Amino acid sequence: MAASAVPWSAHTGATRAPPGPVLWAMAVAGLVAAACSFALAVSSDHVPEPAELQALLMGWITLPYVLGGLIAWRRRPDSRFGPLMVAAGFVAFAGTLAWANTALPFTIGQAFDLLPAVLFLHVFLAFPSGRLESRAERALVGAGYFTAVGLELAGMALGGFGPDNLLAVADEPGAAESLLRGQLVALSVFSLAGVVLLVARRRRAGRPLRRSAVLLIDGFAIALVMIAALFLSAAFEASGFETIRRITFVVIGLAPAAFLVGLLHARLARSAVGELMVELRAEPAPAELPDALARALRDPSLTLAYWLPEFERWADLQGRPVELPRPEAGRATATLVDRDGAHVAALLHDRSLDDEPELLDAVSAAAGIALENGRLQAELRGRLEELRGSRGRVIEAGQKERQRLERDLHDGAQQRLIALSLELGVLEARLGSDPDATARLHRARAEIALSLEELRGVARGLHPAVVSGHGLGVALESLAAGAPIPVELTVRLRGRVEEQLEVAAYYVVCESLANIGKHAEASSATVDVARTNGVLVVEIVDNGVGGADSERGSGLRGLADRVEALGGRLRVWTPLGGGTRVRADLPCA
Amino acid sequence: MRVAIAEDSVLLREGLARLLGDAGLEVVAQCGDADELMLKVDSHGPDVAVVDIRLPPTHTDEGLRAALELRARHPDMGVLVLSQYVELGLAMKLLAESADGVGYLLKDRIGDVREFVGAIRRVAAGGSALDPIIVSTLLDRRRSDDPLADLTPREREVLELMATGSSNQGIADALVITLRAVEKYVSSVFAKLGLPSTGSESRRVLAVLLFLRS
Repeated sequence: MAASAVPWSAHTGATRAPPGPVLWAMAVAGLVAAACSFALAVSSDHVPEPAELQALLMGWITLPYVLGGLIAWRRRPDSRFGPLMVAAGFVAFAGTLAWANTALPFTIGQAFDLLPAVLFLHVFLAFPSGRLESRAERALVGAGYFTAVGLELAGMALGGFGPDNLLAVADEPGAAESLLRGQLVALSVFSLAGVVLLVARRRRAGRPLRRSAVLLIDGFAIALVMIAALFLSAAFEASGFETIRRITFVVIGLAPAAFLVGLLHARLARSAVGELMVELRAEPAPAELPDALARALRDPSLTLAYWLPEFERWADLQGRPVELPRPEAGRATATLVDRDGAHVAALLHDRSLDDEPELLDAVSAAAGIALENGRLQAELRGRLEELRGSRGRVIEAGQKERQRLERDLHDGAQQRLIALSLELGVLEARLGSDPDATARLHRARAEIALSLEELRGVARGLHPAVVSGHGLGVALESLAAGAPIPVELTVRLRGRVEEQLEVAAYYVVCESLANIGKHAEASSATVDVARTNGVLVVEIVDNGVGGADSERGSGLRGLADRVEALGGRLRVWTPLGGGTRVRADLPCA
Repeated sequence: MRVAIAEDSVLLREGLARLLGDAGLEVVAQCGDADELMLKVDSHGPDVAVVDIRLPPTHTDEGLRAALELRARHPDMGVLVLSQYVELGLAMKLLAESADGVGYLLKDRIGDVREFVGAIRRVAAGGSALDPIIVSTLLDRRRSDDPLADLTPREREVLELMATGSSNQGIADALVITLRAVEKYVSSVFAKLGLPSTGSESRRVLAVLLFLRS
């Protein structure tokens, strides 16, 4: 199977990444921008000393975004996350133009001064799809952009930010300063709101996230808290502002670093594929496959679904139907594994794994045969499930039919014969004087009595009406009393159980006692019926010779069918010389 | 003697009414279901009610429940339950408290007018009537240590009739022996089974029944 060309494939997005040279060009542009901002910082007359440190810190928070974004873009072209990161990095560079000593670049840089903070918020909230998924997120980020750009331009128009500000149309630096303070406070609040959204999302996810994703989201939250702290300290001119700024920059730069580490990890994960191959060579049971794949993909939330073409649905290993997660909903997503153009299985995994299509491909390919085995098992179980259901329906329909026949017999033939017998009885009483006629009528009545007895037998064979009418306990009394050997009957039931179960239990006792009479050579038996923990347990034990042929009487097979169709189990223990024990376990509500 | 009948088959209900009328009983109520029976018993106050065990609407245990309720509400009234099958478990339910004024017979028995009317009269008078099938089931029951083995065939016959609710006179008539002889057999049966021989004829039905069932 491994020899065929490309038998296994994993679907990922269809969108293509920009061609390699374009990505490389952007990377070079990022480096050039970093160099320029370093030069600006060193030559600037208004950057707080030491200028080199400022420039390095700026490079620390900008370059990783540009480079990490490019890598993400290439790996997950269908996600906007990569481009968004790249944009955040370049906008942050644009902000450093404010370090320039000349008016034009200073003005441009000042206009972009607060924007990076909002872009970081945008990036963090849009992880991992690159899209803001909730209305709250979109509103928050929108308000952030307005505050960072719109109000910044307004402040510049009011004449803030010194003489180099080309956008000044009024000379109200006091007003501009107040506005700036308002902006900083608002952006702090937005950042903290972003933290709340991140925490809420993580709570909602429910399923265990992959460790690298957890790390990343925690990194985002800390960075947002630091941004809020930085802006608040700037707004209220706190003394430790410079220190807070340095810490904030370090933390913000850690987020893409964590992201890059995650990607690097993915490279290392290739060795996990090798381990997986070794594990699969031992041909693990399909039930162990999800664990092995979860280890190889480092995603504890991983589960598998198999495609059952016969039923045209996905199912778990037990053949029970499974719904694949909708795309763009929640943290789980599905990667389909196909073979020769037909679905085989779906890996249901954490969305962050979409960043590592090669790993998914490698793992799917390695697990191909094991997945096919799992699929066959799921298909078999699915068919069994179907079969069990249909057997149950057949037996139920049969029982309904027999019940109806019994009813017809009771209300029809039996009732008429009784009425006839009654009629003859009245006649007999009236004809008291004629001995010959009386004798004939008496004989006729005896005939009817015999017919009624036979009909009673037939009716009882069709359906034990006493079970439906009066419950298992009452019905078993007569069975036990009429048994060919002494029977000790114990019924521990409170109230009635489902009629189907009662009838099945009745037949189990009936057939078992009949078998004991025929084969067991027993001197006594016990019948125990009890309902414990949602299971109706019926047990018949005799002290006979045991060693019964398990095929003795087609009755036992029929009983097993009846019990299994109700989801139960019939077991027979019959050691030679050790008596026979028949036990039926019937699950009941 | 005033009788109420509850039977959902019109054919049987009217046949029963005619039969009982012919036998000199007064049928004061003919009912098709349990609710009607309850109402009519309350208003007519019959001496005995003859109740089919399967009554509408579900034809399962409505008749039995009606019979048990009548026994609780009208302890002085007799209740005779008829059924197309007789079950030991149901007999034990009906006779749970006492065998006074209660009967449980196979429906087929109504063809034997004399026996049947006799059973109704007995139940109305506070006695009991238990179907011979139930009694024979109990007598034939296998026991590991069978106390019935000590009985003579005659004593066994007496026990069987006693268990169906027959009075001493009834046993004497059935076996064509004297009342004195019946009394002698009864006391020897009780002695051999180790039962106290006191009490009414219906009380000894329950005593014998419980003894045979244990």
